[in-house]
Amino acid sequence: MAHNELILTDVTKRFGGLTAVDALSFKVSAGQIYGIIGPNGAGKTTVFNCITGIYKSEQGSVKWRGEEIRGLTPYQIVDRGIVRTFQTIRLFSQMSVAENVMSGRHIKSKQQLWHGIVHSPWSKRDELANWHKVEEQLDFFNLSEFAAIPTGSLPYGIQRRVEMARAMAVDPTLLILDEPAAGLNDKETMELLQTIFKIRDKGVTVLLIEHDMDMVMEVTDYLTVINFGKKIAEGTPEAIQKHPAVIEAYLGSEDDDDE
Amino acid sequence: MDIFLQQLANGLTIGSMFALVALGYTMVYGVMRLINFAHGDMVAASAFVGLTIYTHVTGQATSLAAVVAIFLLSAVVMAVLGVVLERVAYRPLREAPRLSAVVSALGASLVIQNGIMLIWGPRMRIFPELVPQVYWDFGGVVISLIQVIILVLSLVLMIALYLFVEKTRIGAAIRASSIDQDAARLMGINVNSIIALIFIIGSSLGAVGGLFIGLYYRGITFNMGWQYGLYAFVAAIIGGIGNIPGAMLGGMLLGLFNAFIAGYVSSTWADAFTFILLIVILIIRPTGILGERVAEKV
Amino acid sequence: MKTIQRFAYPIFFAVMAILPHVLDSRWQAVAITFLIFAVVALSQDIILGKCGMFNMGQALFFGLGAYTTAILNNQYGWSIIATIPLAILIPAVCGVLLAGPIVHLRGDYLLVTTIGFNIVFVQVVQNNLGGITGGPNGIFGLDSLSFYGIDLTSQVSVYYFAFAVLLLTLGIMRNLAGSKAGRAMHYLREDQLAAESIGINTRIYKIFAFALGAGIAGLAGTVFAVQYSAVSPEAFDFIQSVLFFSIVIVGGSSVPGVLIGVFVMFVLPEIFREFATWRFFIFGFAMIAAMILRPRGIIPATFGKIPKFLIKENNHGA
Repeated sequence: MAHNELILTDVTKRFGGLTAVDALSFKVSAGQIYGIIGPNGAGKTTVFNCITGIYKSEQGSVKWRGEEIRGLTPYQIVDRGIVRTFQTIRLFSQMSVAENVMSGRHIKSKQQLWHGIVHSPWSKRDELANWHKVEEQLDFFNLSEFAAIPTGSLPYGIQRRVEMARAMAVDPTLLILDEPAAGLNDKETMELLQTIFKIRDKGVTVLLIEHDMDMVMEVTDYLTVINFGKKIAEGTPEAIQKHPAVIEAYLGSEDDDDE
Repeated sequence: MDIFLQQLANGLTIGSMFALVALGYTMVYGVMRLINFAHGDMVAASAFVGLTIYTHVTGQATSLAAVVAIFLLSAVVMAVLGVVLERVAYRPLREAPRLSAVVSALGASLVIQNGIMLIWGPRMRIFPELVPQVYWDFGGVVISLIQVIILVLSLVLMIALYLFVEKTRIGAAIRASSIDQDAARLMGINVNSIIALIFIIGSSLGAVGGLFIGLYYRGITFNMGWQYGLYAFVAAIIGGIGNIPGAMLGGMLLGLFNAFIAGYVSSTWADAFTFILLIVILIIRPTGILGERVAEKV
Repeated sequence: MKTIQRFAYPIFFAVMAILPHVLDSRWQAVAITFLIFAVVALSQDIILGKCGMFNMGQALFFGLGAYTTAILNNQYGWSIIATIPLAILIPAVCGVLLAGPIVHLRGDYLLVTTIGFNIVFVQVVQNNLGGITGGPNGIFGLDSLSFYGIDLTSQVSVYYFAFAVLLLTLGIMRNLAGSKAGRAMHYLREDQLAAESIGINTRIYKIFAFALGAGIAGLAGTVFAVQYSAVSPEAFDFIQSVLFFSIVIVGGSSVPGVLIGVFVMFVLPEIFREFATWRFFIFGFAMIAAMILRPRGIIPATFGKIPKFLIKENNHGA
């Protein structure tokens, strides 16, 4: 039975002498909004990179729906329903918003290589169908007016939305967001919150890294706290807030309000 | 056995010349991540410059003093040209995508190569006999004085460069710039000066290499630069780009490989085998034998 | 501006269609050369401009097609038309085989390996491997085109053959732009990691770009062989590859940019014969200047070809 669960067991990632992720284990259940938090440099993005195939962890196992995905390439992992966004936005900046979102449809399109040389009536229908899916995402994220504009020239907040639209265009089962609120103002952060809830309502499980504590408390169901690559606590947001180890880890660190 | 020893001698000679030229490539690539396509043409130019100095400046004298003068003057001219090249074709593109710099380098290469042709003509010219034609015959294996001089001088220069880069403060600045340009700048290193210095050193060594090529092969043509340049770049990659001992090692190995192919197979296959070797190495061990030392721009 | 764009292609095609009837023999030959090299440059654009791979060995595939036609016609008596499928297929397969081991390499290294492949090819052909490649002088005396018994020996018919190949190439490139594969190449060129992370198997598309570019260049090779009734090694020297590379970068990864580049590189020198010796000297400076002033090429690539229904009323357009 393949539940839509992501289970990390004892995942360890080293870079030379540095252990960035240390025997980390956690489980994301279907339909959750799961948060990974921790001070800067704690290894959070590295964990995500291990899950999505950018790195291969030295040890441990990453199981998605019962299948071991550790060691797969990024696109193979997308094929299995997991999509991620990047902390530093990685859009195709010379290309329009619509084209960016269309890249999310790539893996869903069944066109073959030879359709790049000669179109068939079928491939034309596939194109049209996918552009309509792009239209859906543009509407959902309120990006319709920017469809033809190169993303590199858009404000940061809008670029973030484009990145999420692109990820959602893949129709993922698990959406991984790496600091989605970074660089957003308060109003944009509120909108982001609502969007994440709407995404969850569509049946997508969400795993996110975030620094903005207010947002974390509002949006997540469950948290794992990492410091120096190790898990130091896990629990509901309320429990974590009072957890002594967590308080200690954050005590004395810079005020982490992003600007 | 005779063929082996003969080709060994030839290979070491050719290898020395490759190594001298490869050093210019590797130093520039190490700091700027740029394939200085024009370097090979600079080397060719130096042979022609040397020819002209011989004919019009030193009065066709072949005394030791005259020969030394030719070498020094050529090196100076090429060093100046190298700095000009960097300023005109590369500095404006420091922040540009690498593709732009590649095309600019190709453009510079065309300019220099055709500049040579326009000045000295398209036909082959004969390089003067600056070194007496002395040979030693070791039971079938012939070694010339030119070969010995090339080998010895090249070794001296390479060791000098190695010591300079490893043991002096400026050398440390060069190594730092190779590893991380921005960090080097923050530490107070004037990276622009370092780059100019690299071009000076690379062009001077290349100039010596060019003069050696003239001495060894006697016939020089305006388009011989690309051939040499490509080989030298291959040598730099094989040894590990950005790595100075690597360029020396790569140059020697490539020279030997080239000579052995010429001796045992046929010289008409030398190019093909050399590039097959390069491709194999890039697939198996892309960082080269001694490993890379380049600026990380991920 | 938009009106110019709408009429540019039809005007261009109309001009090119009637051109051979207004030119004398020498200029017809120049026009044919323009068409052939335009096709090769466009095929190079697929690999370098669209897919972003530093390929400096396109002359290799051009030569493979030309030599395939020459060998099959000369040694084995195939008619020219019959050689066409193989003249496309063999370079394409080579494209796959050669690209496979090298597409993951860093840009500069990919560049040097493609130069290497080109050099190996020329040397193999020069050394008359297997006795079929004709050595340094190449292969002479090829047949002219014949189509179901009708001999098409005139230069005008060669022109139309070349023109047809160019139209085919432009058609393929347009189809590519509006397909999953074509877009994948753009994405992976802009940001390979992002492309992989959104589900694109970048390796497959890189190899496909090579194969497609190689096949088209191979077809151009057949036209070349027909034009000269001969092939020789120097025509496919890696210096030619350097020219094709530069045309795409300096002209820009767009059809007009590439065509202008081909015109400047290959037709202008014919017009200004007196400057022939200065040609490359001036080009060199032009390349340096172009990179400093117009790094994306004289006529850069354009994106934003999205379906009309996505562009809403209050849009600022692309």
